[in-house]
Amino acid sequence: MQTVKMVISGAVNAGKTEFIKAISEIEVVSTERRATDDTKMIKKETTVAMDFGRIAIADDLVLHLFGTPGQKRFDFMWEILSEGMLGLVILVDSTRPETFRETNRIIDFFVSFRDTSYVIAANKQDRPNAWSPDELRLALRQPPHIKVLPCVASDRESVKNILLELLYVIQERSED
Amino acid sequence: MALVGNIRDFGLSDFLYLVDRGYKTGGLHLTHEQEMALLFFEKGKLVMASRKPDDEKADLLVRLGLLDQAQLDTARQAFIAGGNGITLTQVIIDQQIVDQEQLQTGLMTHIEESVYGLFGWPEGEFRFEQNQRPAADSPTMPMPVSVENLIMEGVRRIDEWSRIKDRIPSTDMIVKFIDQPGEKAKGVKLAPEEWRIFARINGKDSLAEIAQKTGLSDFDVCRIVYGFLTAGLVDVMKRQRSMAGARGGQGAEPPRVKKSLVNRIINRIRGM
Repeated sequence: MQTVKMVISGAVNAGKTEFIKAISEIEVVSTERRATDDTKMIKKETTVAMDFGRIAIADDLVLHLFGTPGQKRFDFMWEILSEGMLGLVILVDSTRPETFRETNRIIDFFVSFRDTSYVIAANKQDRPNAWSPDELRLALRQPPHIKVLPCVASDRESVKNILLELLYVIQERSED
Repeated sequence: MALVGNIRDFGLSDFLYLVDRGYKTGGLHLTHEQEMALLFFEKGKLVMASRKPDDEKADLLVRLGLLDQAQLDTARQAFIAGGNGITLTQVIIDQQIVDQEQLQTGLMTHIEESVYGLFGWPEGEFRFEQNQRPAADSPTMPMPVSVENLIMEGVRRIDEWSRIKDRIPSTDMIVKFIDQPGEKAKGVKLAPEEWRIFARINGKDSLAEIAQKTGLSDFDVCRIVYGFLTAGLVDVMKRQRSMAGARGGQGAEPPRVKKSLVNRIINRIRGM
């Protein structure tokens, strides 16, 4: 059985758990569920370890989805999770510009040292005052070739679209 | 739809960059404690700035000494007679009540004073109303103003590492010119110290090396380069090869995947 891995990252409350829940074929495994610091202000329950989802591709191939912990004190796990990953989805809460700086830090971490295929999912596009993908591209200073896509993480079709767009990026860079 | 936030989290220079690069038209409303400011942009360029409601009215032109009251009254009459689609500023120029350059220079000084002070705000709520325009009889600039110089001046006033480190986390980073600064570079006015650094940018030297060669402090170099960065003139990057090695080497490269494998996953996701 071959397994491949995709990583879903983003700041606290960006929608990582919801994203994986929307597409995973198994109940999402969250290893711990008690916010212990300032994230309580944002969210009663937040992911402090990681989320894990799974999609069976075929009998011999399975796709694992890992959500990274959003809190800074779990940074050390990012490196572990990113080893051998096929691609990366960076989720951004489009309604909270106060998280853009942290999002940039996460992007910087994942892509500075590795030639990682990634897309940015501009989540919560169904909310009022959501910054559009074009505005997020400028706010996050992303070059034109990086896909910044509209997303509603609670919507399975939207999540499918994000994963497909990431896979198209990976496909372009894959070998025959 | 409005863009809302706080300049504590998303700095004013970052917002001006967004407006500039996004060719945004609209009104930026800022509030901090008892203070307020209103900036209007047309396709990414600044056309009006005010720090108090009175400055949004044409009487400002009299207070600034650009027109006397009789001239303003004449202009207002012509403006009313001109009907829709015309601005008071256009009337003043067309009727040669004031020379365009004189009006531009006088209002520019006012705009600079209005905007530069905003960079000193440690925080403040902002709301950008897309496509909102100033009233037609407002004292708008005859020629919209590029924001690069405003950004540069704003960055000159930054005295905290934290904001700079968002973009420049380490002095080991390399500075390079962006491929096509084009028109952006032409409008930017640099101070002597900024020129010293600008001339040292070669795409090879790190910020620490530039600091060493210029005799400036790391902070000054980073602050100045942050200004170039925010104005869209340069980019910074990490030394890929050596840093990857330092982090363990073998895990640094992503696995090479077969197209057939990716296609299988694509087909599966499509079918879900």
